[in-house]
Amino acid sequence: MCDVATVQKIANCLGVAPGKIQLNEEQVVTRTGAQNKTVSGFATILESLARESKSETAQNSIVTKEVQAQVYQWIEFAVLYVAPGSKDKHVSKQLLADFNKLFISKSYLVGHFITLADLAVYYAISELVKSLSPLDKENYLNLSRWFDHLQQRPEIHQGEPMLNFTTIYLHNWATGTHI
Amino acid sequence: MIIYTNEGNPLGLQLLMLAKFAKRAVQVQLVNLNDAKYKDLLVLPTLELDTGLRLFSTAAIAKYLLGDEGQQRDEWLEWSTTLLAPALAHHMAVGHRADPNALPVLNGLVKKLDDCLRNAPFLAGDKLSAADIAIWCLLAPDGTLKGAQHVDNLRSWYDKIKALPEVQQVLGEQPLKELSFNALQQANRYGGLHHVPLRRSSSVDAGKLLAETAPTVADTVTDEEINAARAAFTYTKPKELAEARTVLPKAGERNVLITSALPYVNNVPHLGNIIGCVLSADIFARYSRSAGYNTLLICGTDEYGTATENKALAENMTPREICDKYFELHNSIYRWFGIGFDYFGRTTTQEQTDIVQEAFHDVYKAGYILTESVEQLLCQKCDRFLADRFVEGTCPHPGCGYEDARGDQCDKCGKLVNATELVRPRCKVCNSAPVLRSSDQLFLDLPKAEPQLREWVDRVEQGWTHNARVITRAWLREGLKPRCITRDLKWGIPVPHKNFEKKVFYVWFDAPFGYVSMTKRYTKEYLQWWQPAAGTNVELFQFMAKDNVPFHSVVWPSVLLAINKGNTLVSHIMATEYLNYEDGKFSKSRGIGVFGNDAQETGIPADVWRFYLASARPEGQDSSFSWNDLAARNNSELLNNLGNFVNRALVFCEKNFNSTVPQIVLNQDELVLLALINRELRGYINSLEKAKLRDGIRHLLAISRHGNGYMQTQQPWVLLKGNDEQKSRAATIIGLCANIACLLANLLFPYMPSTARNLFAQLNAKQTPLDASKPLATILLPAGHKIGKPSPLFTKLEQAFIDELKGKYGGTQETRAEEPQQAAELEAAVQAQSDKVRQLKASTKDKTVWQPEVNKLLELKKQLEAAQKTTPAAAAPAAATQSVQDLENAVQAQGEKVRQLKSSTKDKAVWQPEVNVLLALKKQLDAAKAAPAAAAPAAAVPTAAAPANVGADAGKIKALEDKIAQQGEKVRSLKASGDATIWKPELDVLLNLKKELAALTGAPAAGTQSKNKKKK
Repeated sequence: MCDVATVQKIANCLGVAPGKIQLNEEQVVTRTGAQNKTVSGFATILESLARESKSETAQNSIVTKEVQAQVYQWIEFAVLYVAPGSKDKHVSKQLLADFNKLFISKSYLVGHFITLADLAVYYAISELVKSLSPLDKENYLNLSRWFDHLQQRPEIHQGEPMLNFTTIYLHNWATGTHI
Repeated sequence: MIIYTNEGNPLGLQLLMLAKFAKRAVQVQLVNLNDAKYKDLLVLPTLELDTGLRLFSTAAIAKYLLGDEGQQRDEWLEWSTTLLAPALAHHMAVGHRADPNALPVLNGLVKKLDDCLRNAPFLAGDKLSAADIAIWCLLAPDGTLKGAQHVDNLRSWYDKIKALPEVQQVLGEQPLKELSFNALQQANRYGGLHHVPLRRSSSVDAGKLLAETAPTVADTVTDEEINAARAAFTYTKPKELAEARTVLPKAGERNVLITSALPYVNNVPHLGNIIGCVLSADIFARYSRSAGYNTLLICGTDEYGTATENKALAENMTPREICDKYFELHNSIYRWFGIGFDYFGRTTTQEQTDIVQEAFHDVYKAGYILTESVEQLLCQKCDRFLADRFVEGTCPHPGCGYEDARGDQCDKCGKLVNATELVRPRCKVCNSAPVLRSSDQLFLDLPKAEPQLREWVDRVEQGWTHNARVITRAWLREGLKPRCITRDLKWGIPVPHKNFEKKVFYVWFDAPFGYVSMTKRYTKEYLQWWQPAAGTNVELFQFMAKDNVPFHSVVWPSVLLAINKGNTLVSHIMATEYLNYEDGKFSKSRGIGVFGNDAQETGIPADVWRFYLASARPEGQDSSFSWNDLAARNNSELLNNLGNFVNRALVFCEKNFNSTVPQIVLNQDELVLLALINRELRGYINSLEKAKLRDGIRHLLAISRHGNGYMQTQQPWVLLKGNDEQKSRAATIIGLCANIACLLANLLFPYMPSTARNLFAQLNAKQTPLDASKPLATILLPAGHKIGKPSPLFTKLEQAFIDELKGKYGGTQETRAEEPQQAAELEAAVQAQSDKVRQLKASTKDKTVWQPEVNKLLELKKQLEAAQKTTPAAAAPAAATQSVQDLENAVQAQGEKVRQLKSSTKDKAVWQPEVNVLLALKKQLDAAKAAPAAAAPAAAVPTAAAPANVGADAGKIKALEDKIAQQGEKVRSLKASGDATIWKPELDVLLNLKKELAALTGAPAAGTQSKNKKKK
C-alpha cells in the first residue's frame, strides 16, 4: 500500500502536486518534487507533503510536536502492520478488532480532528474493509463508522465507488444497529 | 517516562538509548500483552511520556525526543523500521518461521549502510544522529555483524558508537545477550514482524557479506550454558527417594500441604472435575515429592446436605448408605486414574464433627457469629424448607436476568445469590412456587473479618492463579455481607448452640474443615500441618475449579482468621477454568461428556487420559476436551515423539551394546544438546514449582524433541558400521540418549506414573530426586549399567476407534446410539426452514416471496416424517400440517362471512362477534403454522402437546365456534330486550363455551366478553 498510488491519492487529498512518485531500487517509494528534491520513504514523503499543503488535514497534522509524533506513528503502523497484515487472516482479524476498539471513544486517530494518520490508515485498510461482509461490518461497528465518515469526503473517495455500510436490507432478519 | 516492553525485545534497547541521549529519566517495565492490565497497548515497546501520552513507534519517539535533525535522518529512521527491522526479524526466526530469503536481502541492506559510511562518518552526515542510534541498536543484538566480511566502514562506525559513554552506560543496564529478535513475536498481537514481506532489492546482488550460517536454536547457546552443562553432567550415586510412613512437616525444610476441592459425594465426577482438582493436585504432589519436599495430599468426599438426603429418599436408603455407596464409586474412579492421595477421606466422621463444632465455639467466642431471623423458602407441596440448590429462578442481579439461576449462585454471571432474592423462584423438585417462612439462623459476620482478610489477601495473593485473584478482588470490591452458616436439615453436623440443636451447619462451615478432619484421620499429629509450630513453614496449595474460589479465598480464611489460632492459610490457590466437552458443556443430566467411569470403559490407558487432561488443562482460559485432539496428542506427541525417542535409544543399546550403557565422551554437539535440555529442564522445574502443569508438559516434550533431532542428525546407525572412532561416537550417542530417556522417565513420573514405572523397569533404574535448585542434566545411567528389555510404551489410537467413541459419548446417555442420525439432522433443517418461513411471512405479504420457502419446508417435513416413521413422534407434525390446511379453509370462510356482514349492515354489534371469531381463527392458524416445527423435534416436550391436539380436535373446535356464534347471537337479541335475569344465564352458557374453546386451542377467549361488560 505504501506504493505509488497511495502517495498520489494522499497528495490529491492535500491539494499538493505530487511530483514524480516511483519506487527506487530497494522497492521504497520516492518522490521527486520541485527543484529536483528527492524524498524517500512513505512516512517521510507524507511529512513533506504536509509541509507543502495548506489543507485543513495537513495543518491539523503538525499543530504540536505531540500530534506530529502520533501522526507519524500511525503512518508507520499503516506501513508496517495494516498494509501487509491485511493479507493475513489472523493479523487482519486482530487489526480490525484493535481499530474497532480504538474507535469506541475516538472519531479520529489523533486528537479530535482529521489528520494524515487517518488518511494513511484509511487507504491501507480500505481493501480489507471492502472485503467485509455486512455482518462483519456490524461487528466492527466503530471502525465502520470511522471509515464511512471519511469516505464521504470527496477529496478522500476521489470518485471511487463508496462502500455500503447500510444494513437496512438485513432488517427483516434482525433489527440491527444502523450507522 | 516509562518504557513498557517485553523480555528480550531488541527495540526496547533503542528507547533506552534515545532517552539516554535526550537526557531524560526513564524506567522500564516488563509487561505481557496477554495481561488484561495491558490490553490497551498495541505494540511493544511503548513509551509513556510524563504527560501520559503513549507512543509506540521508535522512529516517532526519536523524532519527538531529539527534534529535527534533517531529512536524511528521517529517511534513515524510516528505513530502519520498515526495511532493516523486518529483515532482521525474518533472518533471526527459527523453526518453521525460518526464512532462507532473508539473508540476501539483509546483505543488500548492510551493503547500503557500508556504502553510505564510506563517504561520511555518520549516517546523516558529520554528526551523530538518532538514525545512527536506531540502526546501531538493531545491529547489536543477536550479533548480526559477527563474521561479516567486507564491511569495514560499517564495522568501524559500529565500534565508534559502541565506545560512546552513553552507549556503554545503557549496555551496563541492559546487556546485549538478553536481547533477541525472536522476542518481537511477543511484542504485538500480530505475531511480530513476520507478516511484513521482505523487499528484495532490484539492484545487483550485494554479494556475501554476513556470515552464512542460518541461526538455529543451537546458535543461541552461550558458553556459560555449555560450561554449566559440562560441569553438571557427572555421575553421583542418587539418593533413594525415601518416604516416611507418616509425612509430617519439618522445621527448616519445605513442607507442602496439598488439597483438592472435595467432590460432592452424589455426583459422578466428569473429566472436567478430575483435571480441575484431583488430577492437578496429584500431578503437583508427585512432582513435589520427587523434588524432595515433605508433601501431603489430602482429599475426600463432601457428604452432608440436602442432595444426599433426597437421593437417599429416592433410592430408599439411609443417607449414610448412600454416602457409602457413592464414596466407593469416587474412590474407585480416582484409584483407576492413579491419583495417589495420602489420604482420601469423607466428611461424615466423628473427627469432622468435633473439629467443626470446636471451630464454631472459637468463632462464637471471638464474636463473629450473629443471629438473625431468616426468611426461608418453604415448598408446601414437598413440605420442607428448600436448600439453596433446590430452588431455581431468575437471577436478581441487574443486567443478568438469567432464568435458570440456582439458589446459591448464578451460572451465568457467577455472582452469589440469596435464594429468597430470586425472581420467580420455583422448587426444583416439584416446580411449584415456594412460600417464605421465617426461622432463626446463625450468620458468620464476614464484614467484621473483612479488614484482616484484606490485609491477608494483599500479602498472599501473589501466589494465586490469575482467576483466583480476580474473583477474590471482585468479592472484596462489592463488600462482604454476613453469610448464613446454618440450615434446617437433619443430614449434617448439629449446631452446638442453645436453641439451634435441631439445625445443622451449612456447607461453608462444614466442607472446608474436611481438609483438617481428613488429615486427622491420617495422623494424630495433624495439627503439625494445620497449626504448625513457630519455625516450621507449611505451604498450603489448594486445587479447585474457579467456582470454588470464594469459599477458599474469602469464607474459610475469614473463619480461620477469626479463630486466630495460627492456622495454616492457603498460600497458593490453584484455580482452573472450565473444561468443555467438544465445545459444549459436560452435563450429567443430559449424559453429554465423558465421566469418570466412562474413561475406564474406553480401554484407553489411564496414563494417556492423565497426559491428555494435563495438556488440555484449562489454565488461562476455558479449554475443550476433544476426541480428535486426544488421538492427535497420543499419536504425535506420545507415540511419535516421546515413545519413539525412548524406544530407539533403548533398542540401539540392547542390540548393539549388549544392553549395557556405553561410555560417553562429550563433544561440542553433545554439550549443545545438554545445554538445550537444561533450558527445558529449567522451564519444567519453574513451571511445576508454580503448578503450571500444562507448560511442564511442553518442556518435557521439547526435551524428547531435542533428543530426536540429535539422533536424526548424528545418525548412529551409520556410525555403527564405520571405523573404531565412528563406533565410539555411536557409543557416546546411544549412551547419552539412554540417559536422556532416564531423565524423561523422571520428568514423566508426575504425569504418567505407571508409564514412568514401566520405563524405569526397561531402564533397570529407579526414580531419582529432582533438584529444583539445580535444574541440570546429570548422568543417571553410568557406563556399564545394564538396562532391561525395551518395549513400546504407547499404542496408536486409530481414527475409526476414536470416531466410535465420539459417537458413543456425544448424545444423551439413555438415548445414546438409539436415535438415527438422519432424523436429528432433518429436524434441525425443518426448524431452520420454518424459522425462515415465519420471518419471511412476518416481513412481507408477497406470497411469491415466501411460497417457495414454504414448499421447501413442507418437503423437508415429509422427509422427516418418513425418517421418523418408527417413532410415535411422527404423528404430531403430520396432524399439525393437516390442521393448518383446515384452519386456512376456516379462516377463508369466516373472512367471507365478515365481509358480507359488513357490507350489509353498519351495526357493529352484529358483525363484531364474527370478526372476533375470525381473529381467533387466524391466531390459531399462526400457532398451528409455528407449531409443527417445534412439535416435530420435541414431541416429548409438553408444550408440543397442545398444537398437536389442534389437528386432531380441529373439527371439534369448528363445532364449538359455531355454537358460540349462535349463542352470542342469542345473548345479543336477549340483551336488546333488557331484562338481565333473562339473558344472564344465556351469557354464562356463552362464557363456558368460550372457555372450552380456549382450553382446546390454547388461545385466549375472544374479547366480546369484556366489551359487553363495559357496555353494561
